[in-house]
Amino acid sequence: MKYVCLGYLDEEKWNIMSEKEREALMDECFAYDDILRKEGHFVGGEALQSAKNATTLRWQNGKISTTDGPYTETKEQLGGILILEARDLNHAIQLMSRHPGVKAGPFEIRPTEDLNAMVAESERRRSKT
Amino acid sequence: MKSFYDAKRRTTMKYLLMCCFDEKLWGELPETQRKNIMDEYQALERDLEKTGHYKSGAKLGPSSSTTTVRFKNGKPAITDGPFAETKEQIGGYHLIECGNLDEAIAIAMRIPTLPAGGSIEVRPVEYLTQV
Repeated sequence: MKYVCLGYLDEEKWNIMSEKEREALMDECFAYDDILRKEGHFVGGEALQSAKNATTLRWQNGKISTTDGPYTETKEQLGGILILEARDLNHAIQLMSRHPGVKAGPFEIRPTEDLNAMVAESERRRSKT
Repeated sequence: MKSFYDAKRRTTMKYLLMCCFDEKLWGELPETQRKNIMDEYQALERDLEKTGHYKSGAKLGPSSSTTTVRFKNGKPAITDGPFAETKEQIGGYHLIECGNLDEAIAIAMRIPTLPAGGSIEVRPVEYLTQV
């Protein structure tokens, strides 16, 4: 079963950490990512640039409006995502509880939805037209 | 493949498109509209795969199925539900690759949940190879 782990980060707190502290935490995180990779749990992951660099698109009055910044202002901002392969939710929680990144901010663990049946159905519908 | 990740030689960027939608509103849409939107999603993904822009993506389970792990008093604390209660919730994401932010926005504008009331957050991916 695949889980998407959204890693949140308090950017302010991150920025006031010393270079050494940041490096140490990153080393710990990458080392743990390697363990996850070796055990076949690490399906993918991406680190994101600062939320300041985000752009948000919305539909307003019949057209798209574009604004700078994330879609919602929260104390902690999404810093990266990790796609995890785990047996079940408990296993996913177990694996992510050991991830050193949890010290920098919370992880949100969300199961992915299996869309295979929906895609097949959608293909059938579209092939009729 | 390695040279692609070399910051100096890189000509493309990766962007994460996060699709946010008010789950309550989504639940209230007529079944046919939801199906149409999902069909349009499939067609868009196919298209982006063909043009080489599509890297990966997933539809997420409802935010009620979320678990949050935090670090509290030196150990992990686990709670049910998302980390923040917001009007809109992340329903899925697409990871795309393109030349610049303008191109990423142009792709995001084609996401079919937008006209139905959703919003899309476009975030550049950080390259960590130098770290």
